[in-house]
Amino acid sequence: MTRVLRSELFKFRTTPGPWVVLILTLVLTALGVVTAFVITVNGRGQFTAPMFTPQLRELMGAGYGAGTVMAPIIGILCITTEYRQKVLTTTLLVTPRREVVVAAKGVASAIWGLLLAVAGLVLVMAMGIPLLSTQGGSVSDLLNQAGPVIPGLLGEYILMAIFGLGIGTLLRNQVAAVVLTIVFVVILEPIIVALVHSLAHVDLNWLPSRSAAALAGGLTRSTGGGHTGAGPLLSWWLGGLSLLAWGVGTAVIGYFTTFRRDVT
Amino acid sequence: MAATPASVAGTIEVRGLTKTFGSVAAVRGLGFTVQPGRVTGFLGPNGAGKTTTLRMLLGLVSPTSGTATIGGRRYRDIADPIQSVGAVLEATSFHPSRKARNHLRMLAMAGGVDQSRVDQVLDLVGLSGDAKRKVGGYSLGMRQRLELAGALLGDPAVLILDEPSNGLDPQGIAWLRDFLRHLAGGGRTILVSSHLLAEMAQTVDDVIIVSQGQLRAQGPLSSLVTQTQSMRARTPEPDRLLQVAQAAGFSPRQVGPDAVVVDGAGPQQLGPVLATHQVVLYELVQQSQNLEALFLELTTSLGTHPEAAGYDPAGQPVPPGAGQVPPGYWPPPPQFGPGGAAPGSPGGPS
Repeated sequence: MTRVLRSELFKFRTTPGPWVVLILTLVLTALGVVTAFVITVNGRGQFTAPMFTPQLRELMGAGYGAGTVMAPIIGILCITTEYRQKVLTTTLLVTPRREVVVAAKGVASAIWGLLLAVAGLVLVMAMGIPLLSTQGGSVSDLLNQAGPVIPGLLGEYILMAIFGLGIGTLLRNQVAAVVLTIVFVVILEPIIVALVHSLAHVDLNWLPSRSAAALAGGLTRSTGGGHTGAGPLLSWWLGGLSLLAWGVGTAVIGYFTTFRRDVT
Repeated sequence: MAATPASVAGTIEVRGLTKTFGSVAAVRGLGFTVQPGRVTGFLGPNGAGKTTTLRMLLGLVSPTSGTATIGGRRYRDIADPIQSVGAVLEATSFHPSRKARNHLRMLAMAGGVDQSRVDQVLDLVGLSGDAKRKVGGYSLGMRQRLELAGALLGDPAVLILDEPSNGLDPQGIAWLRDFLRHLAGGGRTILVSSHLLAEMAQTVDDVIIVSQGQLRAQGPLSSLVTQTQSMRARTPEPDRLLQVAQAAGFSPRQVGPDAVVVDGAGPQQLGPVLATHQVVLYELVQQSQNLEALFLELTTSLGTHPEAAGYDPAGQPVPPGAGQVPPGYWPPPPQFGPGGAAPGSPGGPS
């Protein structure tokens, strides 16, 4: 298992896909940082340092939106590349036990999810601290928000990456998996949540990105693709469990329905 | 995980192997044995079920029924399989953006093979100079070599190759042929599939011929060659020659007033017989071997020569697990013996 995991991480390292995802994550994070500095004063947006706790948390968690969208793509790439480039045959010849392959890919995706999160956080610091200083904000106030924000942020990236692996295991088609995931997370889920909330007065808190938002501490009002029009989120740990269940659940279903099929 | 994986000794055994895709039976009751130290050609036309069989052997496709084992074990039950079995399946299974050397490093990592082997096998297949190039820029021949390097990474006792010469130029095919012979010399079990018998004739020791998912013939190639040899004689006494050759178990026929063609005999078989009976000869020449014709016969006209099917005369799929020892592998099945029915001879239910 350790060797298979090392090999999976090596695969990530030696193809361009994951690096592109990393760059896109950083771009989205940078946008998040800039957005956190745009404060609405008297109905007009101004570029100024965030002062209050919610705004500082938003700056600290600027990678949140990127995590919801980009972290699952890491997991999707991890498995659909095998089909797209026909590497699966080779992979299974070396490791014929397919459950080991899926498990190793799950751990490898989680590690890359963590890597994306850490890279995003480093960028938040690298951009946020100088910006905050020059705009007259307090760096120590920002750092005080690290405790409440960072664990949820890391967890969200990790679990979203595993969720992506589950989607990829289920769907196999790389383009379809990526497009469907982005469309669902960014567009469909918020619409469904809002509709069901207003029509049936039920909060669909167990859906993936709602769970992710709960885990990340409800930081998402402005960056997470509009979770407006719905009630309160789950508690952070229930959100985490829910997201983990989405990841493991889709991976297990995918393993039994798709991944065990004949490779011809 | 096992620290020292026991290398799997190399006999390949396929018993009653059947695979159905929907309503299509790709492989039907196939059974054969592949011995170590020999190159065995796995021959049949396109769509005969060769690839499906090899993929079942390698755990990529699950059989509908029957078993396929290497050294007595299913592929997925072999610990660190690439150290026991090397496989070359298709030339496309590389990530085009990955460098060749990294592809092999990745395999070595997962397969528990020392990284120092990577450069060794690259050298072995002559790719050292291109090791740091991306595989996407490789020619088909180079990809095939890289695939072979991957198969050899774990220094396996068993090599399984599916149409390895597909897309290779004549130079590449010659290289591959020498390479396989060299590897077999080391006592390895080598099973190589092809839809071209002529291409394999210079490489293989044994052949397994399949068509429509069923076994058609198997045994040493030398027997098959003898079987398909024929001699042409000029003699003043054709009647005596016909008589003598017939009595010796060959299939002679008169083709001219003083000319006789004897099928199923080479010079070593026919010469001594004629000398013993003091048949006068003006000329005795070997006809061109019609191996390809026999191959076509075996693989296209199904049911016409059930005796040529050897393993399964009734044409029925062998039930899974039926019989531990299959009839007729060693010694060679009767259809290859000098006394066997010649191809094209009438007989048998059709």
